[in-house]
Amino acid sequence: MDYSISQLARDFGLSRSTLLYYDRIGLLKPSARAANGYRRYGQREFERLQRICRYRELGLSLKDILRTLSTGKRPSAKVLRERLEEVEQRIRDLERHQQLLKRMLHKLEDDRGLVDVDKDLWVEMLRVAGMDEAAMERWHVEFEKRAPEGHAAFLKTLGIPAAERKRIRDWSRCGGKAGR
Amino acid sequence: MKTNVNVAEWVSLFEAIGLSESVMHQWHEIFESRHPDGHQGFLEWMELGENDILRIRKSSREQSW
Repeated sequence: MDYSISQLARDFGLSRSTLLYYDRIGLLKPSARAANGYRRYGQREFERLQRICRYRELGLSLKDILRTLSTGKRPSAKVLRERLEEVEQRIRDLERHQQLLKRMLHKLEDDRGLVDVDKDLWVEMLRVAGMDEAAMERWHVEFEKRAPEGHAAFLKTLGIPAAERKRIRDWSRCGGKAGR
Repeated sequence: MKTNVNVAEWVSLFEAIGLSESVMHQWHEIFESRHPDGHQGFLEWMELGENDILRIRKSSREQSW
């Protein structure tokens, strides 16, 4: 079996320029040139490219791959150990980023408050709409039934302390204060 | 986890406890005149777009009753 540079590039999902570069640095040389000067690659080159790609996936440098392939052996323990340390460092970095992003996101969600609305103002506005104590109670019950998470979030943004929030939600779930 | 309540949910919540549309409109007018910043904050909490917020606040400033 014999391959053109384009076939090889397609089979391995690489660009032609990558293969030209591999040729230039001596990593993967064509087995022959066609009469028109085009590069031809044989089965041996195909298999060599498979190994190159596997080592690239592990993150080995082209220099290390070249050294490994030229000795005809597996990559040295030293090369693998170095790469392993790099990967572990990268995982630690990513875990740090993960924690940081989570914290930032939580903070952002917590801060999604009604900037200028607190409990007193909200109660005032409900009274304005003609709601008395009983109507406000029904409002909490309905809110808890339809959108429990939204209810919890809304109470929190009004600056109501956790214990009171829990109390309100508890009686809301029981259909009102009398239901407790 | 869904924490924000959209406008439709909010409206149906108030309808469920017997508030009419006209009362809700009056409510926005009073909210706007007494606590313009609070009104803005409330509309933002419902994740309304900037244009919708402007429209609602503008119509709340036009006394209709």
